[in-house]
Formats: sequence, structure tokens, C-alpha cells
Amino acid sequence: MQVEGKDILFDKDGFMTEPSLWNEIVAKSIAKEEGIEEMTEEHWKVVNFIRNYWKENNLAPAVRLVCQEAGIGVRQLYKLFTSGPARGACRVAGLPKPDGCV
Amino acid sequence: MKRFKVDFKKLLLAEQVFKDILNKNGSSHLNACVRCGLCGQSCHIYLAEPVVQNLPVSKAQQVSALFRRYHTLSGKLFPLLVGAKEFSEESLNELAESVFERCTGCGRCSINCSIGVDVASIVRMGRNILASIEEIPSELHDTTQNQLQTGNQMSITEQELNDTALWIADDLRMETGVEEIKIPVDQVGAKILYLVNPREVKFFPLSLSAAAAIFASAKESWTIASRFFDVTNYGFFSGDNKSAAIITNNIFEEAKKLQVQEIVLSECGHGFRAFRWEGANWLERKYPIPVRSVLELILEYIKDERITLDKSKNNIKVTLHDPCNLVRWGGVISPQREILAAAVMDFVEMIPNREQNFCCGGGGGMLAISECGERRIKSGKIKADQIRNTKAKIVATPCHNCADQLLELNKKYALGIEIQSISELVFNALKWITK
Repeated sequence: MQVEGKDILFDKDGFMTEPSLWNEIVAKSIAKEEGIEEMTEEHWKVVNFIRNYWKENNLAPAVRLVCQEAGIGVRQLYKLFTSGPARGACRVAGLPKPDGCV
Repeated sequence: MKRFKVDFKKLLLAEQVFKDILNKNGSSHLNACVRCGLCGQSCHIYLAEPVVQNLPVSKAQQVSALFRRYHTLSGKLFPLLVGAKEFSEESLNELAESVFERCTGCGRCSINCSIGVDVASIVRMGRNILASIEEIPSELHDTTQNQLQTGNQMSITEQELNDTALWIADDLRMETGVEEIKIPVDQVGAKILYLVNPREVKFFPLSLSAAAAIFASAKESWTIASRFFDVTNYGFFSGDNKSAAIITNNIFEEAKKLQVQEIVLSECGHGFRAFRWEGANWLERKYPIPVRSVLELILEYIKDERITLDKSKNNIKVTLHDPCNLVRWGGVISPQREILAAAVMDFVEMIPNREQNFCCGGGGGMLAISECGERRIKSGKIKADQIRNTKAKIVATPCHNCADQLLELNKKYALGIEIQSISELVFNALKWITK
């Protein structure tokens, strides 16, 4: 993927290998792959919270925090990101792949 | 996985572990293959990518060639003639590629071998050897370390576990109007210690939520633990039996502390196999209390009428994916089918099924290994086709690892399905809860 003249590289799971190159344009491009044509305000609330939490803690946040911060229910979160919080929302937020069964 | 260097010390270690894990049974399997190659037809990875390296026999050969070099007369005297190989940087790197990146350990080759060789267990010995020299894919290594250091594979803190339990229970009470629902944490003297996949806590809580409703409905005495709540065992995936034993032991220590009478495992394929069947061998002792799958418990509730179901609430066509570690390796074959018969209106089997079912493509730790991303999707096409042929719109599967792979297959092959755990479907059909 090329964004603003820069090559954005992904691992074979589609997660960014260089998370520092993330920006909103990159997020929109990944979102398109996820079938999200238009990033709504709710999408951004989720993505920005995940992004900031990760920067501070070097970990993806638990779904409880994501839902409470974005003010949405868990079923609504799955509707926003059909691949779920890990392979969907965390990927759009430019995080590396979380550990474990995801 | 990246190419690794091997020094003399590691070569000695690898050779030693080979001796340690060998027994008469293993030795005969290692030396019995007649190279008919029929195992290819049983392997989803070979079928998707029919190259010789993907034949189950080729993967097992990486291990048996090493065995022959050190443990047979002909291999010691004429290694080249009998295809025996020495432990070397080259042979160990080839071994790693074969056993971690070309095999999910699903065991379909083992039950279809023309002469009964347990091919998958031979491949597993390869993982044991590599774990002994600490050359395993970094994702499996890191996840195992998370389990050893924090008690769970996703490093969820005790505080987060507690907060999440409260949050799920609150939501559930609101959704159902049933005040009795709660998720007890660290409750000493509860009858059951319920282990969950950290994925349920961190990303997909609906299965834990469903289990809590089912337990409330059955008036069960249960608890989860805030530190050792994890049903998974990445030591097992890694072939690292020492870590696997520690992870198993931690759970039994927790069970002792909480004075529970039984351990019940949430819907997790490898977790079931590891805790129910492999753990006692790693610990080299008999378990002090029984261990069973939540599927067996839910079926008991239905039979004893501790819960009643109205299956008309689930009127969309459902099919079932059999997780290899739970079904082919674990022997839990009929409970999920009996439960679905009571919980859904329209059930259809995918073909083949039960112990002949195909792996989802994400088993054996492969879901966690990024390097295998493409192969996972490619070899999952068989599963995608199986699902499409059923015309079902919901795929039930009692395994979180499978569920994640199925989510991806759904996206990549545009299946238009929903993936649910058995508990979720049961919760949906629960009769006394007014929704």
C-alpha cells in the first residue's frame, strides 16, 4: 500500500509492520479492506481510543474499555468492525497483531 | 519463522530430548511408514497446495530421518542409503519449517494412515525437539511467556478480569431482566472452577456472557479465578512440555486454593485436549479432581432438566464445525450434537464431519503465526466450501481459535455466515429468560 509517497508494509495477517507510519489515511485504506466504506464518528471513537491506549500501554485494550469509552454495546462494536475488535478494529488502528488466539 | 543458528550445545540438547521422549510406541511409529503417500488426501494443507513438502509423510520424515541416524543400525552405518540425517543447522531449520508452518497437528492423517502410523504425533515430536533448543516461532514463544508470567496468554490483569466480569454481568442483567445473574470471581468453596479463553475476556465476551446465563439458569455454584483463569496452553502448541506442565499445574493449585470440586473448560479445542488428556502425562500424576468440557455439563443440565430450551428461538439453519483437538483428539463428539438437537430448529451436518472433519486451517498455533497467514487462508478453502455446501447461515463451533479462523474465511470467501459458540445458541434458546 502506498500512502503519501510512503510504502506501508503489512505482515501476512494484514497487520502493519511499522505501526509508527500509521495515520488517518492509512486507517481509511485498511478500513476499506474491512468492508468499511465510510469511517463514521463511532468508528473513529473506537479506533482513536485503541490507538492511544496502545501508545501508552503497548497492549491492545480490553473490549470492556473500548465499549465503555466509545459508549457502545459489544454487539454494536461487532457491527462496526465485522472482523471483531482484534482483526478488525486493532488492525485499522495500526496495531501489530495481538498475541494469542486471535 | 526466521532461519536460526545452531551451535554444538544445541545439537547435543536436541539429540538428548529425542532420547527422552522416545518410548517403544513412538519408536515403532517412527520406523513403520511404508511411504505409500496416501496420507496426502487426508491433509487440508496438501490438498490446497499439493507439493511434496506438504505430504504428511514428508513432514514426519523430517523427524524419522533424525531418529534413524541415531537409533537404527542401518542409519548408523549407512545413513545415506536409508535417508538418515544428522542433527545440524540445516536439518533443524528444515524441521522447523515442516512442523510449525506446514502442519496444524490436526491428526487427520493419523486416523487415515493405511497402516495406522500416528503421523501427527511424530510431527509433534519435531516440535518437542525444537522447543528443547528454544527455536519456536516467536508468536508461540511470546504467548507462552505471557501465560507463565501473567497467568494468561493475553496478559490480562486481575483488575481487568474483575472489571470485565462486572461489566458482562451488568449488561446481561439488563438484557435479560434476571437479577440472579452474576459472574463470581475467586469465590472460595464454589463447586466449579470455570476456565475461559482470554479471547472471551479481551475481545469476544458473548460466550462468557452466555455461559453465565446458563449457569444462573441451572442454579450452578461456580467461579472464575482472577489470576489463573486461562483454559489455553501455548506450551502445548509450542511442543514445550515443561511450560505446558507448569501452566497445567498452576490451574490445579488455583483449584486447590479455591476448594472447588471440579474444573470445567469453556469451548476451546486445544485447551480441552491439553487439560483433559495431556496434562496428567506432563505432571506425571493423576488429577485430584475431575476435568470436563462445558459441553458435557450443558448436556447434563438439559438431560436433568436443570435448564429448559425453546428451540423455536433459533430458527436459522445451523451447521457445526468440529475442532480437531476437541473431537478427533479429544473424543467429545456427541454432546455438541445432542445439545444442538435440543437448541436449534434446523441443523445440518457438514460433510465430512465428526472425527473425519477437516481442520479449519488455523489449528496447532498457526492462527497466531503471522508468517502462515496466506497458507491459513488458502488451506481453509476446503472448510469454506464445506460450509457453503450446507447452505447454513450460522456456523456453531466450540473453539475460539477455530471461530477466529472461520471469521476470516467468512470475510475472504464471502460466505455470509455468522459464527457462534454452542453456549451462545443455548443461551438464545433458554426458556425462563424473557428477552
